[in-house]
Amino acid sequence: MLRRLATSPSVGASKRESQSRLPIRVWRAKWLYVALLIPVAMLLIFEWLPAFSALYNSLYIWNGGKVHFYVGLEHYERMLSDRTFRVAITNLLGFVFFRVIMQTALPFFAAEMIINLRSARWSYWWKIIFVFPMVVPTILNYLIWRFIYNPQVGLLNEGLKLIGLDDYTHAWLGDPNTVMWALAFVRFPWLPTLQFLIILGGLQTIPQEVHESAAIDGAGFWRRLFYIDIPMTKRQITLAMILTMLFMTQRFDLFLVMTDGGPGYSSMVPALQLYQSAFHFLEFGYASAIGVVLFVAMLALTIINLRVSAGATSN
Amino acid sequence: MFKRKRLRIANHDLPFQMVLVAFGIVTFFPLVLVVITSLKSNTQFYHNFWLPELPFQFGNYSSAFRIIWRYIVNSVLYSGSTICLIACIASVAGYVFARFHFPFKTALFLGFITLIMVPGVLTLAPRFVLVRDLGLVNTPGALISVWVSGGLVLSTWLMRSYFESLPQELFDAAYVDGAAERQVFFYVSVPLARPMIATVAMTTLISSWNDLIWPLVTITDKDKMPLAMGLMQFSSDFETDWGTLFAGYVISSIPLLCVFAVAMRQFISGLTSGSIKA
Repeated sequence: MLRRLATSPSVGASKRESQSRLPIRVWRAKWLYVALLIPVAMLLIFEWLPAFSALYNSLYIWNGGKVHFYVGLEHYERMLSDRTFRVAITNLLGFVFFRVIMQTALPFFAAEMIINLRSARWSYWWKIIFVFPMVVPTILNYLIWRFIYNPQVGLLNEGLKLIGLDDYTHAWLGDPNTVMWALAFVRFPWLPTLQFLIILGGLQTIPQEVHESAAIDGAGFWRRLFYIDIPMTKRQITLAMILTMLFMTQRFDLFLVMTDGGPGYSSMVPALQLYQSAFHFLEFGYASAIGVVLFVAMLALTIINLRVSAGATSN
Repeated sequence: MFKRKRLRIANHDLPFQMVLVAFGIVTFFPLVLVVITSLKSNTQFYHNFWLPELPFQFGNYSSAFRIIWRYIVNSVLYSGSTICLIACIASVAGYVFARFHFPFKTALFLGFITLIMVPGVLTLAPRFVLVRDLGLVNTPGALISVWVSGGLVLSTWLMRSYFESLPQELFDAAYVDGAAERQVFFYVSVPLARPMIATVAMTTLISSWNDLIWPLVTITDKDKMPLAMGLMQFSSDFETDWGTLFAGYVISSIPLLCVFAVAMRQFISGLTSGSIKA
């Protein structure tokens, strides 16, 4: 018979079970293994195999086909002297730094406004309104912002002309000096949905009494913000920041759609360079090595993320 | 319907409401402009950038729809099959992990959740070679197989924790009534797990619907492109035909809008649970 999990740790049966020999227990559970066959096979083939292939092939020169020979750590050394990669890392660090501040401050601000409302119904509707841009497919965010930055008929330039600042119109994505700033502001007034929901959730769990007693003690909006709301949502804020870092490190569709790393390679980021190495230059070995470096960086972030999110998303 | 009275703004709320309204206007302004522009011809657009202008060019919508519908249908098919497969496989796997003891259970489960640490960028290039060698390039199989296996990691975990949280008494009652394991699964567990299945479906929907990179490397035929990739193609085909372009953008937002309108709560829970695998 299959052995079920009981909530009470029933002793007799399970002790006898665990004493019987392993092959017998495996045989008894055969249908369970059959049930797990498909998912396990899929994960082995489509997840574990490529992951190990990346680690392994980062030590090889590989064009994705027949050309395949061992070069040891050469790809990693190359990264150190690769100018494009250095630009990519610098860009990424600056970009992540800026985005983390923006993607935390903006939703916190909106959430703070919302929890200050006395009307529960309005709070609910504002939450829905700010989540709404989520229904726009991600790629459309980028395409719409490409229109906003369009040098001929873009929203930004037209807006500048409208208020008489014609001199400031600019090819925002075409100038190496402005391209990273332009990219950093993509989706700007739209709240990052996830971070917004997490922070709002955190703020909403602060007990009403805390706010009331603060009000009785004469704390105004600002005091309350700095002495109650921010300290009490530290976990959620941290989580929002880590999530932004994780998203920004691995997602490069923004860069691919908006500039493809250009002009030149002034808006290159490591993940985009990985993509181009593999699919434009057929350097699958080098691409894998970049992947490994990103993986190690993100691993550290993910471990922190799992620690923090265990507490913060439960609300 | 809500009583209008309830939505009246209290004096205390007024300053916050004003800030929120300003914020809301800035948020929706680009979207409104896209809708306005989608109803203009190019001449109208160059003549008057900001305001709507008569006559409205509804023809933009029909010419955009002639191109876009194909991508939407493709995406519905791809994401739909991905969701069905994940819902079936993950509920069985989650159930097995939650309700039974068997040798190597911990090891197998670790084989699932360790993958949460493995980011998509690491596996992108080797996975493409693998899929190419399997002969799946330019077939729906390339997308569905990878989306399913990627989604299984998180979904199995979510389903397992959900099944573990169900009270043992429910199962005992079914066993006492003489239900076989299969019946307990189909008639007790799955109906009870419906909210979690909905969450899993939404997480899968949002991530597969928005995935751009993977279709970009595996799909080449225009007829087979899912929406995200099709939109990129569409935007370069209609680069300067602004009205049609934006009409296409509006049309392509409608499917998720409908899902959002019908199942807002599940949509939001799907969003947040996706955060664990970022």
